[in-house]
Amino acid sequence: MERQAILRAEGVSKGYLEARGAGLVALEDLSLDIWEGEFLCLIGASGCGKTTLLNIFAGFIEPTRGRVLLRGKPILGIEPRCGMVFQSYALFPWKTVRGNVEFGPKMKGAGRAERRQIAQRYIDMVKLRGFEGRYPYELSGGMQQRVTLARALAADPEVLLMDEPFAALDAMTRQVMQEELLRIHEESQKTVVFITHNIDEALILADRIVVLSARPGRVKSILTNDLPRPRHVTIQLSPEYARLKSEIWTHVEEEVHQHLEASRYAAAGGG
Amino acid sequence: MVVKSSGGAQIAALEVAAAPRPWREWLRRRTRLVLGLLSVLAFLGIWNLATARGWISPVFLPSPAAVAAEAGNTLDTGELWRAVLASSERVFAGFFLAAAVAVPLGVLMGVWWPAKAIIDPFVSLLRPLPSITWIPLTILWLGIGEAQKTAIVFMGSWIYILIYTIESTKRVDPLLIRAARNLGATDVALMREVILPGALPGILSGLKVTLAISWSCVITAEMVAAQTGLGAIIWRAKDWGNLPLVLVGMAGISVTVLVADTLAELLERLLIPWERRRPR
Ligand SMILES: Nc1ncnc2c1ncn2[C@@H]1O[C@H](COP(=O)(O)OP(=O)(O)OP(=O)(O)O)[C@@H](O)[C@H]1O
Ligand SMILES: [Mg+2]
Repeated sequence: MERQAILRAEGVSKGYLEARGAGLVALEDLSLDIWEGEFLCLIGASGCGKTTLLNIFAGFIEPTRGRVLLRGKPILGIEPRCGMVFQSYALFPWKTVRGNVEFGPKMKGAGRAERRQIAQRYIDMVKLRGFEGRYPYELSGGMQQRVTLARALAADPEVLLMDEPFAALDAMTRQVMQEELLRIHEESQKTVVFITHNIDEALILADRIVVLSARPGRVKSILTNDLPRPRHVTIQLSPEYARLKSEIWTHVEEEVHQHLEASRYAAAGGG
Repeated sequence: MVVKSSGGAQIAALEVAAAPRPWREWLRRRTRLVLGLLSVLAFLGIWNLATARGWISPVFLPSPAAVAAEAGNTLDTGELWRAVLASSERVFAGFFLAAAVAVPLGVLMGVWWPAKAIIDPFVSLLRPLPSITWIPLTILWLGIGEAQKTAIVFMGSWIYILIYTIESTKRVDPLLIRAARNLGATDVALMREVILPGALPGILSGLKVTLAISWSCVITAEMVAAQTGLGAIIWRAKDWGNLPLVLVGMAGISVTVLVADTLAELLERLLIPWERRRPR
């Protein structure tokens, strides 16, 4: 089967210079193909470089080595075709909920009525009707997170880069948002790269699940999740689900232990 | 399970903890007001006692009553109003001119480093000069009319506005700039939608601080060479040995600057609604 990789990381490494002068390798020689239209989940221990990888895909930072291709062309600057849902929200504090969500359409030159209509659609989708006129500081963390999601969707990018977009939501809202996201993915056939810490979330959402190793981040394993779609929470009761979950868990467990081991070592060395 | 993301429970807890207690806040504000009022009254009482009992000779400090009477006189003749008006006009002319030059220049210097590199040396050299040192040159160039007063205010104000503007422009959250670019913003849109609103609170608070500086500039200029204005009143009163009038002039400055400051505060709240209800 000949499929086109919409995003392709080729031998990507990223090192940071820390304030103390020491270097830190966040990603090392990471290669990954992301297929057009797929829903890909990235799983990995905290600090293994997931956000770093997403930032490279969005063109926010350059890899130290290697390169990233979008539809076969290297990403050189900030790339609006890869829309980011930020882990830390990054909402414009001087804009209301509506102003934030309208931002993408406005940049594309949509007229007032048109962008208002687009914004309303996504505000409704993230269940924030009635809060259009609020400023971000008047919202809870979970509400702000949903505004960020709506803002990215309203901008209609080709690839959605989502950095733990549901981390601040309660279990119920999270489930509703997951279902909405699946619906959008099915309708629009957009490519989604989705970071999560939650194996259940990855199993509900993903076509493929990429487990990253502890720092420096590399692709440890890639699992294909062919649980039938459309998926529903009840799928968690199936034996297939349990099998996949325990398989991912064995991969993740090693890395988590290694990560904890390393932090303990660092703490002992630093103290 | 070990791998689990942080849930919404923490956030809900925070919201409950932050619930305000309006009546307590109200009581505290009232108490603060009463205490301030009492302290002013006590000061006036001691001042009155000291002059009435002859502890301080009226040659050095007139009684509050004498000052109040002088204030009534100058208000009746309209002299005080004219002085306030004359000084205000000069301040606003110089201040707005300074803002009109320094805010755009500061934004440019904040976003485009070559501009900053070119202008920085002059900023470093001009900043240490008090506005009063510009008096000889400005008189030589502009005479002792309104233009010279405006020039003194301008020279004393523009650098502060510039510095505040550069700082606030550079301190706009880079994450928000990334977000805007990611959503497809062009250079012009980025400036209009992100950099200017992001820098606005800082620029406005810079303008507010500078407004008070502008006032001290105009008073200095008026004391050296002017027929009208609050500074001129004070200086003339000194020559005539009219100490109550000196104090009236000083009080006039305080009240006028306070009023200007309050107006500026109101304007600020109007211009940046997203900061209005944010706890400070
Ligand atoms: N700007 C930076 N300067 C220096 N070090 C950085 C910078 N950004 C990230 N790092 C380091 O790079 C490593 C990877 O960070 P990254 O944010 O990509 O992790 P992550 O996988 O997203 O973690 P989490 O799951 O906690 O969000 C971390 O050790 C972090 O300390
Ligand atoms: Mg992260």
